[in-house]
Amino acid sequence: MPLFTPEQDKFRAEVCALLCEEDVVEAVARCRRLPGGEEPELLDVYRRLGERGWLAPNWPVEYGGLGATMVEKAIVTEELIRHGVPDVTHGLSVDIVGLAIALFGTDAQRARLLPGLARGETSAAVLFSEPGVGSDLSSLRTRAEPDGDGGWRLFGRKIFSMKTQFADFAVAAVRTTDTGVKYHGITLFLVPLRNFAVTMRPMWNLTEDRMVDVTLDGVRVGAEDVLGEVDEGWQTVNRFLGLERTGVDTAAKAQRLLDTVLRQAAATGRLDDPAYAHRLLDLTARVRAARLLAWRCVTNLVEGRPDDVQSSAAKWHVTEVFKELAVLAPEFTGLDGVLDARDADAPADGIVDAAYREAPGLTLAAGTSQIMLYVVATQGLELLT
Amino acid sequence: MTTTRVHALAEFLDPDLTAMVRRMAYRPRPDNGSADDNPAIRAMIWQGLVGLGLTGPPPDTAGPAADGAGPAPVADSPVGGHEELAAITERLGAALYQGPLLDTVTAADLLARGGRDLPGDGGVALAVRADGAASPADPGAMTVDPTTGGIHAERRFVGFATEVDHLLVVGTTDDGPRLALVPRDHPTVTVRRHEELGQGELHHVRLAGTPAVWSADGSGWSRALATARIRQAGYLVGLARGAFDLAVAYARERQQFGQPIGRFQAIAFRLAELSVHLDAARLLTLDAARDADQGRDTRLAAARCLAAAADLARTMTTEALQVHGASGLVNDHDAHLFHRRAAIESLWLGSPTQLRAEVLPLLREQLR
Repeated sequence: MPLFTPEQDKFRAEVCALLCEEDVVEAVARCRRLPGGEEPELLDVYRRLGERGWLAPNWPVEYGGLGATMVEKAIVTEELIRHGVPDVTHGLSVDIVGLAIALFGTDAQRARLLPGLARGETSAAVLFSEPGVGSDLSSLRTRAEPDGDGGWRLFGRKIFSMKTQFADFAVAAVRTTDTGVKYHGITLFLVPLRNFAVTMRPMWNLTEDRMVDVTLDGVRVGAEDVLGEVDEGWQTVNRFLGLERTGVDTAAKAQRLLDTVLRQAAATGRLDDPAYAHRLLDLTARVRAARLLAWRCVTNLVEGRPDDVQSSAAKWHVTEVFKELAVLAPEFTGLDGVLDARDADAPADGIVDAAYREAPGLTLAAGTSQIMLYVVATQGLELLT
Repeated sequence: MTTTRVHALAEFLDPDLTAMVRRMAYRPRPDNGSADDNPAIRAMIWQGLVGLGLTGPPPDTAGPAADGAGPAPVADSPVGGHEELAAITERLGAALYQGPLLDTVTAADLLARGGRDLPGDGGVALAVRADGAASPADPGAMTVDPTTGGIHAERRFVGFATEVDHLLVVGTTDDGPRLALVPRDHPTVTVRRHEELGQGELHHVRLAGTPAVWSADGSGWSRALATARIRQAGYLVGLARGAFDLAVAYARERQQFGQPIGRFQAIAFRLAELSVHLDAARLLTLDAARDADQGRDTRLAAARCLAAAADLARTMTTEALQVHGASGLVNDHDAHLFHRRAAIESLWLGSPTQLRAEVLPLLREQLR
């Protein structure tokens, strides 16, 4: 954990104060009790954060940020999660797509797309996975056909995409050239989603948030929509996926779940029972360590020396610790923990149930645990080579 | 162990029916557009299980219980032994069967200890817990109206309460443990379905002076619970095996980086490790069941095998999802059903932590 400056502590307190306002608290509570099939999209609280430059504080002022650092960004993420604000849209739009545009985009793309994301008025999604194409992304089959007018038409199917139904645009990995060399010929496009050539089908799943099955049937993109270089997208994709791997969000989720479990254990007397207490104490250490590993990545980014091995290690550790805690949590809470937020008796708005359902996806999304360990083993330890 | 009945159950639960059974108690929420024909399927499966003769009491070859609760042994049990029952519940677990069968067998056991048969084939749900954190070894409060004899109790997490004819209330009264069999459709019985992770049939039940059709001293509960735990361990071993089989099949089929992912040691070795844990938990369960068939006190063995099976079930279903990648999370796939059910089934007759704490004194006794 970095030593936060007094300004950063003050910033955290200000973000916290906004998220503690009554109408925000009410809106968050409503999100948890949405009827089946509905899920939170761009919340008003995003706009309220956005108008202060707090959604993307690390971006320049001209693009809607505060010109601050990744530390302030991570503080916002921690506070959103600590207050139970749904963060998937924010994470996708700002931490992943927005950051990629900030790093790899042209000035025109930045000016066109970043301010909306920073203000919480637009949102973005990621279109990478395809049927049969997951960890081995370079085998993707979605293709771009030149339209003879300097642009392309995109054809293919992308799956397991999140919040796409609300998003204005997405970053899609598409094959522009097929030379038989898998790692060459992939291009990243910024694809408009509110378009007749884009159809979406919900993939209902273990979590409340649907995944989306997206068919691109000739949606047009122009040269101005290329993120990075044509045919050289593979390198960008790899850097792109590493960007989000600080693990600050999952570490914050683990802390929030642990706090709930500890409160429940204290209330039921289980915290005084060594059978539970020793394991809980061990988990407090592991969750703390997860946060430290995550913040080490933030520090790396602030200091301009991103470290693939450390970010893979952090991603692996925080998501595995969260999963272990989430799977064990009903053991500490008893069967009440399996009640979901729609049941009036659910403890702490059903967060134990929600974590149990969310955890398995976190060790898969944005690089599976196996891929993370592969990076640590190869790049970190020079094994397997 | 493969008896005629185990074999018959295996034939009954063929792949087509298993696919249906896995979802018959599952109520997906977001895409709930289709008509819920699951109650009809559950009724059909129930009739099938009754037809196979699986609803009778387990044998009690132990003779009068050592704790003095003294039921007469049931000589003409329609079901084989505890080992056979563990094999049966294992098959049910692999099919992710949900329904009142396991509760009904335990109820039949308790009734048989009192010299009674099940009142018909309508199924019995056990009503034991007053709250979700309580161990079933410590039944919730129950009062008996001194004038009418009506039963007053509040029970949570009662399985399939709306689909059985009777509830067997296990309770603690001022005069000690007590059992009361009550009709489920009596106007004094109110039932509310819990909204929960397993998306199954768990209910909050209130009894406000419900007349009992049978009532008895409840001191036989701890021994009945011990053998019920062996059956539950069998169920969880089966559940783990069902998830494991899906994961192995997927690892053989799913191609990434030009080969099946099962060729990667990270996947293959983890599955190999889990296969050994699965064997171990299964043998531990059958061993406890054989102890029960020999008439031994199985409270320690039952708790040990159930804790092991419950821990394994949670690990296995989580690992199975990891092997499946995002495709296992999607509702169309069965892998996530195992993960959901593991959360509830692993706590159902006591969580691993509760089980270990409960039988620790028995381990001390063994050392004497």
